[in-house]
Amino acid sequence: MLRNVYAKSLRDMRRSIVWWSLGLIAMTALMIAVYPTVRDNPDLNKLVENYPDALKAFIAFGGELDYTSGAGYLGSELFAFMVPLLLAVAAIGAGARATAGEEEAGTIDLLLANPVSRRRLIVEKTAALATEVALLALVLWISLLVGVEIVGMDVSVANLAAATFAAALLAFSFGAIAVLAGSISGRRSVAIGVPAAVAVAAYLVSSLGSLVGSLEFARKASPYYHYVASDPLRHGLDLVHVGFLLGIGIIAIALAVLAFERRDLAT
Amino acid sequence: MGVSELDFEVHQAEVFGFLGPNGAGKTTTIRLILDLIRPTGGMIELFGLEPRKSVHNRRRIGYLPGDLRLYERLTARELLKYFAHLRGLRDLGMSPALADRLGLELDRPIRALSKGNRQKVGLVQAFMHGPDLLVLDEPTSGLDPLIQQTFYELVTEAKAGGATIFLSSHVLPEVQHIADRVGLIREGALVLVATVDELRAHAVTRVEVTFAEPPSAEAFAEIAGVREVERQGRRVRFSFRGDADPLVKALARHHVLAIDSHEADLEDIFLALYRGTEDVDAS
Repeated sequence: MLRNVYAKSLRDMRRSIVWWSLGLIAMTALMIAVYPTVRDNPDLNKLVENYPDALKAFIAFGGELDYTSGAGYLGSELFAFMVPLLLAVAAIGAGARATAGEEEAGTIDLLLANPVSRRRLIVEKTAALATEVALLALVLWISLLVGVEIVGMDVSVANLAAATFAAALLAFSFGAIAVLAGSISGRRSVAIGVPAAVAVAAYLVSSLGSLVGSLEFARKASPYYHYVASDPLRHGLDLVHVGFLLGIGIIAIALAVLAFERRDLAT
Repeated sequence: MGVSELDFEVHQAEVFGFLGPNGAGKTTTIRLILDLIRPTGGMIELFGLEPRKSVHNRRRIGYLPGDLRLYERLTARELLKYFAHLRGLRDLGMSPALADRLGLELDRPIRALSKGNRQKVGLVQAFMHGPDLLVLDEPTSGLDPLIQQTFYELVTEAKAGGATIFLSSHVLPEVQHIADRVGLIREGALVLVATVDELRAHAVTRVEVTFAEPPSAEAFAEIAGVREVERQGRRVRFSFRGDADPLVKALARHHVLAIDSHEADLEDIFLALYRGTEDVDAS
């Protein structure tokens, strides 16, 4: 596990991966365990129908708000907020540790005295971040499959994979922004703060944008919008939205390499 | 600390001592050499390449930072294994032998190590791959005298093997021991580059003479090589350089009770230079 920067970074993440996995499993289990009660209570949908539109906009995931169908329930309870939140927090943490963490700890001087270029450092750290997110997404997907099977929800394996993959891509794009902010500033606080602010803004703009016409343009720029837009739990993925999220990640990493290669490193 | 006016070369199989007080720009210079920071002007070459273009050459470099920060959660062995992989070594290289000589336990977590032991980890990782160039920033800080001796041996052996050693220090005697040439840096500028022998040739001797009776005020004014005369009753202190004959002849005219003298080390030359006095010609 100490073969290269990638392996060493993953090794440093191993505890974090275990804890996040346990959290995701517990959350999924809890939400799915409650589902039969909700399904057998049709009054709930009537109650929800009377919610103000603004609230509905925040609760719905992609398509119509519908608590009693499997896809509608998982969308509202897990994928609209909690799943992207947890994955994004994990990804941003890993992105902030990538270079800013080593720079603040002062270990980067020794590390870069080895035959490791700055570009390779960013690329391998980013690969480790992507691996962490992918592993967490895999754990989430398997938990969902097991849960859906036990409770008997009408969501396809493929659509669960699509929604989980979209959430992982969204988290990766925020993680990549964390790598970028860290490679420019050299400070972990900035590397956490910037993508966190972007994530909150993306969520608000996307959710409110469906109600406010003047936000329509901004909405198209929100990573969160591209995460929900194809309604992945019901209709799977759409290449345009996947491409947008992936593009943000790739551009952020490319900029991070450019910025990091030009900078003086902090002592 | 910014640096400017640095112009020097370090040759193969040479130990170059880079001396200056804290804050003079030693670490800045070293971080420029390692490409951790970039020069706004001027040029550096390592093995004929700019540091920025010599990522592959870093395999040939051993670096010990002045402010050594290690991976706290790894053991020394794990850290060495990591760096060995990054440098393309199959095993731990010379690490086990080095650790043995320095008295370093490899299997304790780094966070549990004392400052001296951390410094040993830093030294082992710098020497482990038998580098052609060693860049050592304040290498002996935190080491006890016995281990310092081992460090001098390591440097001497590396030099014998053809390695170039660039080491910084603000402690002069250690450099005097092992360096072939010395560069003095002050406020970001290189004040002087000289061999240790050349510096010694400039070395002044501090002399204290006790007379039976206080000598007259002019008695020491005109003797060649005598400077900085201080009188305290029957005792006279001065610094001296060059041919001793005129001094001995002059002293012979008086009743001398005691002579105490010691050869100045680099410290004195250094201080003299820093004060900007004319005791040493900056050449």
